[in-house]
Amino acid sequence: MSGLANGPVTGAEVLAFGLRTALGGRVVLDGVDLSVRGGLTTILGPNGAGKSTLLRTLGTVLPLDEGSLLIDGLDPRHETDRIEVRRRLGYLPQDSGLDGGSRVFDLLDYLAVCKDLGDARTRRHMIGDALHRVGLADRAGDAVADLSGGMKRRVGLAQALLGAPGLLILDEPAAGLDPDERARLRDVVTERRGRATVIVSTHLTSEAAHSDTVVVLDRGAVRFVGTPARLTAAADGRAWVQSTAPVGPVRASWQQADGWVRCLGDPPPGASLVPPTLEDGYLLTVDRPVAV
Amino acid sequence: MTAPTPPFAAGPPVDPARIDANWRAITFDLDAPRPSWTERLLRRVGVPSAAARLVVATPGLRRSWFAALVAVVVLGLGAADPERPTESMFTLLVLAPLLPVLGVVLAYGDAEPAHEIVLATPRRGLHTILLRTATVLAIAAPVVGLAALASPAPAWLAVAWLLPGLTCTLAALSLATAVGPRRATAATAIGWLAAAAGMAGAVDGVGRLAVFSPASQLAWLAAAAVFGGIVVARRDAFDHLSPASGTVR
Repeated sequence: MSGLANGPVTGAEVLAFGLRTALGGRVVLDGVDLSVRGGLTTILGPNGAGKSTLLRTLGTVLPLDEGSLLIDGLDPRHETDRIEVRRRLGYLPQDSGLDGGSRVFDLLDYLAVCKDLGDARTRRHMIGDALHRVGLADRAGDAVADLSGGMKRRVGLAQALLGAPGLLILDEPAAGLDPDERARLRDVVTERRGRATVIVSTHLTSEAAHSDTVVVLDRGAVRFVGTPARLTAAADGRAWVQSTAPVGPVRASWQQADGWVRCLGDPPPGASLVPPTLEDGYLLTVDRPVAV
Repeated sequence: MTAPTPPFAAGPPVDPARIDANWRAITFDLDAPRPSWTERLLRRVGVPSAAARLVVATPGLRRSWFAALVAVVVLGLGAADPERPTESMFTLLVLAPLLPVLGVVLAYGDAEPAHEIVLATPRRGLHTILLRTATVLAIAAPVVGLAALASPAPAWLAVAWLLPGLTCTLAALSLATAVGPRRATAATAIGWLAAAAGMAGAVDGVGRLAVFSPASQLAWLAAAAVFGGIVVARRDAFDHLSPASGTVR
């Protein structure tokens, strides 16, 4: 759907059709279609939209209830295909479970063994490289339990990068990172998106602005697929400011720092329209009240 | 007049990024922490580095598990009675089969570090579990066995708990695929203790060890084969998050 503008499209091909998942009797994914190859795709949606369930399904850790999923033509429902898909996959779950007393290097080496990445020397070089990329090269000997939340998140990112996988699935990778760490994350993802298919979830529109494709997911269904610019354009002519709180029905309204009240929805006659932002487009795409 | 080209610049151009990467690899070779002594020991006796890493990373081998191992030995030997050497081994033998269950099944799933990350790797969950079972038994068997041999009881009792232990572990693993590791561990422990106590309560003397008798061992072997079959048939469950284990919200 969206590769990079120049050069051949590389990275795993992800084709999902009619994904449907129910957990504990609740429908979490309700017929999701997705077609991605190369570039950075951001799954954007409110909390509870089904983002993690979608990424867990694409990451093959949650079995498919209904629908079909092919990654590079392989079907994860079959054991041999699933193992082959996992060889091409780097996965960072939302709750990475990276704790315990083991050292950063030992944990990464254990995961490198699980990923079947070669002999001790090869693994050591890969780990050194991954830790360098996330800025933790000098922390290899530290206990994981002693790291800050942001550092643990970076260890999680480092393990996903091991072996330079063609498919990188990162569930809320920016959660708990400070601005410097976020800039570094963006750097790492930008470097990878030219060589791999990168799928990232977030509930922050600011994180989605840098992606090639935005997928808005709400209540388990895809509400929008396109570039960030197209999502912004969805709010063309539907964002305006006024001096008082709106009286009629609007999609959302909030007071800006400059004192004006920003409104989204169908503008009243004579409203002073303003250029929309990505957030405006997003809010108008998810059709339920969202806290802003 | 221009400066002569220095001779060291005459060679083919070298990619600075490659030099940088090589330098990082060399310095990281020096910086990477030394493996723990257990891992070095395993490698010295010929275990390949990948397998040694997996064994050392067995999540069940926590301080609490070693405490349980010590508790079983202390309680077991505390109950030993030279007047009744065989039947007084009951406590040790009845508690020991729960050690692999605690070390393997209870430490599986969301109790395991980086569980969801490991699931997404090509390593088969069942292989990991079998390796862990072997690891835990390799530690528990000599400790419990030596404790039994140190008592006045007949020597065969030192290994009498191994088959029930394997059966309990496979039973708990089969159950875990349906109800999650915690409930499976609890149900297996209750079931095993009830069976052992039930068979012991009916008789007196050496008959208290009926649950470990040769006839019972055959039954445990048959049960191990059945539960082993279930575990293999349901091995996909160890490659996925399980809604039953509480890891899927």
